[in-house]
Amino acid sequence: MPGTAAAHRCTLTKPDDFDAFWDDVLRQASAIPLDGEIVPDPLRTSDDVETFQVFYTSLDRVRVAAWYCRPRRRAARTPAILFTPGYQMDPPIPKDLARKGYIALSVAPRGKLRSLGQFNPGYPNLLTHNVVDRHTYAYRGFYVDTWRGVDFLLSRDEVDPARIGVTGSSQGGGLTITTAAMRRQVRAASAGAPYLCGFMDAIELTHTYPYEEINDYLRLHPERRGAVAETLAYFDGINFADRISCPIIVNIGLQDNVVPPETGCALFERIGSRDKQLHPYDGHGHEAGRARHAAVVDRFFARHLLGREASA
Amino acid sequence: VTPEFDAYWRETLDELDRRPACPEIEAIPLRSTTFATLYGVRLTSVGPYRVFGYLSLPAGRGPFPAIYYAPKYQSVLEIIPQGTANLQRSRYVTFSLAGRGQRNSDSPYAAMFPGLLTDGIDDPASYVFRGIAADAVRGLEFLRSRPEVSPSRVVVVGNDLALIAAALAPGATHVVTTPALFHRTAEVAPRTQAYPLEEVNDYLRAFPHRAASVRRTLGLFDLTAFAPRVSATTLLLAGAPGSLLDGRALEPLRSALGGPVTLHDSEQSSYKDGVYAERWMAERCGIGDVEAILPEHWRAR
Repeated sequence: MPGTAAAHRCTLTKPDDFDAFWDDVLRQASAIPLDGEIVPDPLRTSDDVETFQVFYTSLDRVRVAAWYCRPRRRAARTPAILFTPGYQMDPPIPKDLARKGYIALSVAPRGKLRSLGQFNPGYPNLLTHNVVDRHTYAYRGFYVDTWRGVDFLLSRDEVDPARIGVTGSSQGGGLTITTAAMRRQVRAASAGAPYLCGFMDAIELTHTYPYEEINDYLRLHPERRGAVAETLAYFDGINFADRISCPIIVNIGLQDNVVPPETGCALFERIGSRDKQLHPYDGHGHEAGRARHAAVVDRFFARHLLGREASA
Repeated sequence: VTPEFDAYWRETLDELDRRPACPEIEAIPLRSTTFATLYGVRLTSVGPYRVFGYLSLPAGRGPFPAIYYAPKYQSVLEIIPQGTANLQRSRYVTFSLAGRGQRNSDSPYAAMFPGLLTDGIDDPASYVFRGIAADAVRGLEFLRSRPEVSPSRVVVVGNDLALIAAALAPGATHVVTTPALFHRTAEVAPRTQAYPLEEVNDYLRAFPHRAASVRRTLGLFDLTAFAPRVSATTLLLAGAPGSLLDGRALEPLRSALGGPVTLHDSEQSSYKDGVYAERWMAERCGIGDVEAILPEHWRAR
């Protein structure tokens, strides 16, 4: 365990009505039909991977886009991985995961490119959009959009519902945490440099964007600090972590200046799964040792979703 | 460098010269601090097309060294790159520009990612990067026009557009460039399946009969052809040894650059590569206490 980062004392507390809040959000979402649509994309299809554009409906009836890739040669029931995007990243076409034998869905939650027709607070701004009201805060819908990606995978006959994984880094790492927590069908999760965890500690530990958006907001509106902290506690990945029961790996960079490693350690401590591993990379920043860690992730998913050991 | 290359860029720059920038500058209090004020800037480029940028001016009396963050291949426009300490804005004037198609410069043209790299690629006249290169030049011109900027310390930072802007416009004293799109693209793209270069493979798979025109267009954007025009001191950031655009692959570019060059191989660590680039810029811009403007987790402990 990394010494300095692990010594950090997390100041976050969990609201008493945390579970009730999210149960209510899930109830609202479940009343909205998914209305999944899958459209072939011949331009992005290659000899080995078929690519589709996917659309489905989420909370507030926002239409969400995603990329869907599947290996041409596959079993009748194929394991699947949900890829969750970074804060500023344009959601990628996940051909690489399809080439490894998975059906892959790369989701663009509301406000991302291709999902911004009905909601577009912009970048910077997303992180503080309606941050004083948990019922309209940007990430309320953003989280649900991601979780509905699992629902879309489950709606596909070609996906093996017992072998679904989720992965992402940075914001994608945070979304991996909340998705694994809120969708029991997730059987394996790999979270890199998990953002959206320990917000209020993070803004003291680092002064780089995107967390700096919160400092900007509080500089202009210092009187709203209590309301901001109250809202963010409902969206903090650390408060979701005890719900995670699937095997999970987390990698962090000990010199990460975007997502402080202190918050990654605090998150890891709270993860409920007994099958959890932390991979701290000294000498690494926000990429969190990706070059070395990629092989760890491949082996992890191969073991849990493909049922075999992968070559490194 | 072919006669077509010279003519193509001369015509592009002539068109830009005929188009006044008509800047609009507006303060953004939400992103302003005690040490820097942020402004939104709108400028006209070729087309005509209106593009947007973020200008940050340090508190105090200048002139200050300046960093120009040239347009990138991504939809989001950052004030300063993610992970850069906000305190960088206390020492440098910074200006980041969204090329046409990026957020804030996406009306009427909203780019797709992937999609931008091959938009109009079969015809040099309609290729979207002709306009984006002009946007990048316009941004550099604007930055140099600011009285707060020290003209002897103007660093252009980014991927291919950083080098292209420094080649096409006067005034860049330093360049920090990480080639990604336009280094021998026609030869390099078939050796990868990763985006953004995979866009070229997708395009040629769908339109194989356009291969010659694509190659012709890409030839007009090849970094090695721009390199002799770059007299600025350059930090060329290469991929890790063995990667697609590693130091060995970039050697023709390095040797073609017109000014002094430092080639740095990536250590596959955003921390180590980031510290190296920050120190490199600070040393050349006369900033003695770079440690004070590094992110907290990058500082020596």
